[in-house]
Amino acid sequence: MLITILSGVVYGVQSRLIQVEVDVSQGLPCFQIVGLPGSEVREAKERVKVALKNVGVKLPPVCINVNLSPADLPKNGTMFDLPVAVGIMTALGELKREMVEGILFLGELGLSGELKPVKGVLPIVREASAKGIRKCFLPADNRWEGALVREIECVGVPRIQEASAVLRGERQEAFFESGAEKRPVPVVPEEGDGKEPVSAVREKEPDFSDINGQCALKRAAEVAAAGFHNLLIIGPPGSGKTMLARRIPSILPPLSLEESLEVSTVYSICGLLQSAGSLKTTRPFLHPHHTVTGRALTGGGRIPKPGMISLAHRGVLFLDELPEFKRETLDILRQPLEDRQVQIARSSGSYVYPADFMLVGAMNPCPCGFYPDRKRCRCTPYEVKRYLSRVSGPILDRMDICVEALPMGFSDITAREKGEDSAQVRKRVMAARERQEERFAGTGLRFNADMNAADVERYCFLGEGELRYMERMFSCMQLSARAYHRILKTARTIADLDDSDRIGEIHLAEAICYRQSDRKYWRQHTL
Amino acid sequence: MDQLDKREKKTEEEKACLHWLIQAAGAGNRSFLRALFGLGTAREIFALALSGRLADRLAQRYRKRAARLTESSKACDPEQEYGRMRERGIGLVAQGEAAFPKRLSKIPDSPLALYYAGRLPSDQKRAVALIGARDCTEYGRYMAARFGAALAGAGVEVVSGMARGIDGIGQESALREGGYSMAVLGCGVDVCYPKENGSLYETLLAKGGVCSEYPPGTEPRALQFPPRNRIISGLSDAVLVIEARVKSGTLITVDMALEQGREVYALPGRATDPLSSGCNRLIRQGAGLVNGPEELLEELLGTKGRGRTEGREEQTRLVFLDGVLGEVLGALDFQPLAAEEIRHRFEVKYGKTIEFPVLFKTLLELCADGHAGQIGGGYYMRILKP
Repeated sequence: MLITILSGVVYGVQSRLIQVEVDVSQGLPCFQIVGLPGSEVREAKERVKVALKNVGVKLPPVCINVNLSPADLPKNGTMFDLPVAVGIMTALGELKREMVEGILFLGELGLSGELKPVKGVLPIVREASAKGIRKCFLPADNRWEGALVREIECVGVPRIQEASAVLRGERQEAFFESGAEKRPVPVVPEEGDGKEPVSAVREKEPDFSDINGQCALKRAAEVAAAGFHNLLIIGPPGSGKTMLARRIPSILPPLSLEESLEVSTVYSICGLLQSAGSLKTTRPFLHPHHTVTGRALTGGGRIPKPGMISLAHRGVLFLDELPEFKRETLDILRQPLEDRQVQIARSSGSYVYPADFMLVGAMNPCPCGFYPDRKRCRCTPYEVKRYLSRVSGPILDRMDICVEALPMGFSDITAREKGEDSAQVRKRVMAARERQEERFAGTGLRFNADMNAADVERYCFLGEGELRYMERMFSCMQLSARAYHRILKTARTIADLDDSDRIGEIHLAEAICYRQSDRKYWRQHTL
Repeated sequence: MDQLDKREKKTEEEKACLHWLIQAAGAGNRSFLRALFGLGTAREIFALALSGRLADRLAQRYRKRAARLTESSKACDPEQEYGRMRERGIGLVAQGEAAFPKRLSKIPDSPLALYYAGRLPSDQKRAVALIGARDCTEYGRYMAARFGAALAGAGVEVVSGMARGIDGIGQESALREGGYSMAVLGCGVDVCYPKENGSLYETLLAKGGVCSEYPPGTEPRALQFPPRNRIISGLSDAVLVIEARVKSGTLITVDMALEQGREVYALPGRATDPLSSGCNRLIRQGAGLVNGPEELLEELLGTKGRGRTEGREEQTRLVFLDGVLGEVLGALDFQPLAAEEIRHRFEVKYGKTIEFPVLFKTLLELCADGHAGQIGGGYYMRILKP
């Protein structure tokens, strides 16, 4: 008897529905799985055999063949245990064919028949919903994850016995919902186009008002957040570079539901959504140590997994002590920074992960950290130069905003008056974001930083006077031609913050001041 | 004509042997070289060494070294080696030759001979040694460039050591101004040290000169640098110290200069600045205080009046900038300050706030006009418009 059960698998961030065809027929007793199963999938038969025995389903000496179709896609993961088990039970007559038709099954089996959580539930259920599937069975621990997707009924079951009971209609599924571990169910708006911000309740985040002084730094961070520009903070040790970077997600516009689902999908694939406990509603902040390998950053492995840059998607990737990172590691970021996604090619296929992150770097100006304060810094110009040259030019070129953190004095740290809190800053950032949304409506662009050269020409119009001003500044400040478009993008954001349609000289001037990578530290001092 | 040719040939032969002698005996072995020259000319010494009789003519303690010379003389063809060096554009000028710099020949412990590439300094022109710390401040960097350019503009030659920091900056700006500069190296003239001054080295070869008492190919060694300082001051009429710590190699040059009877000038700095402490102490000890190139030129060339009023005009032109430009300029300093510090100084000085966008715009304007310079990331300092 041939039974077909629906299941799914994740490739990159895309998911594919898989048909699990189970055939039980007379013949020499055997149990095999075909259709390019990975080792976890191949081991499913042992788990299924023992689990079925332990829940009281007798496996007669028959020939069981399982085919995972489409058969040319390599399959990895433990989510096929449940569909295979359900398929066998149906083929053996424990369940009726009509009971399992049109239902998606995902789940890992324990030997006792319990169902364990699996990775990638969110993207698979989303794909199923898009393909018109209206019901799915998930391990109880994954139920809320599937429930994030609208228009699909998710049944969370703790054990395979309950699954068959529900399928037979002997039990109400509501039973399991209350019985399963209680989790905060995320707020998912029922209506809307997916652009509205998700979750009114934000987790407690570090706040901007914790930082005393450092006004220039805060201003630069605000501009960076408003246009999603990459930011480089240079300053002596203990000047609050890391402190500021940690607070950038708190002033970024909140994730829209659409963005939140994108981010959560990546976390789901990495199995991290379980521990997060709900949809990712805050912008990610990733802070890899400088010994991180290139593969950990971009993702990879024989069976590719998303890396840190994908986990930082729509959020902040903070690289502290930038020159301490291996040059090759940093250079790996060049392509994702341009394409806003990363492509990993393996023999099993090519995987694309999203990587639209804001790069925030922090570094000392010299090996000792106090340059250009010659009272404390005795690094030779050569040492300074060698230290700075560890960061490659192309990476620096992508840093639109470069800012100094001042050494903190005692009075700064103990200053009584608090600065603005994140909410106030974010209000201005949101206003600038709205202007950008309006401007880029229907283009797929989100932030000013997303613009390419052609977009810059289109959206960053300069008047006659401003053009002359730019020309003058370029010759006086010895800017390189490649800086032009990047300066315009930053200036556009500054004008947005200023609620101005026109880019004025004052906006250009600030953008030029932030644009430092193609001179100053990195070039000979020119006076 | 024949006789002239002969004489020239003779001096070339003599120089070839001298080259061999310096290489074989080592330029640093001055007492040994002196003992050798007590025996005759370089040619005669070579002949003696070749015949193996050199050791007999020297004191007991030089025997071993003499034996080494004999060995080397057998393995070497001085004229061929010298010719090869000449082909590479490196010259050798010996003490007593007309081309040997006059000023240098008169100092105590003057070098026997000088290897050089490019052009040697002119005896007719005034020369100033522009020296200072390697890890200089922005202030020193700026002043070195200013002095270098002004000296070159007045036709004064700039002598220095092509080191990092003050030396290199002063020489570079002198050359950029179309002037002449001579670098005295502590290694062979065909070795560029430090490497990062590569482009300066090339420019010096083309438009100025480099010289050394060490034969070509000599690697830079710490021991070779203090002795070369005597040549820096020896080639100059006066020594100007831009920036120096109290304990520094720059002050070795000053000691040499005093020994040689050169004028010593120093640029004053703040009392709290470790890199000006050496200069300030020199001034206290009696060195000439110069506030700007005009004052130095006046002392050096006796051009009274002109330079000084020019300087004052510059100052006045700076002070009276209108509006916010002038106010921000007033908040700047000759030390680099971060934008945030400038804003703070502005607020303290004028009792009003200034927004960052306005501040940035004004600073950029000042930079573009040459009243201020942008250093390091977001640091700005005031500069005097040239």
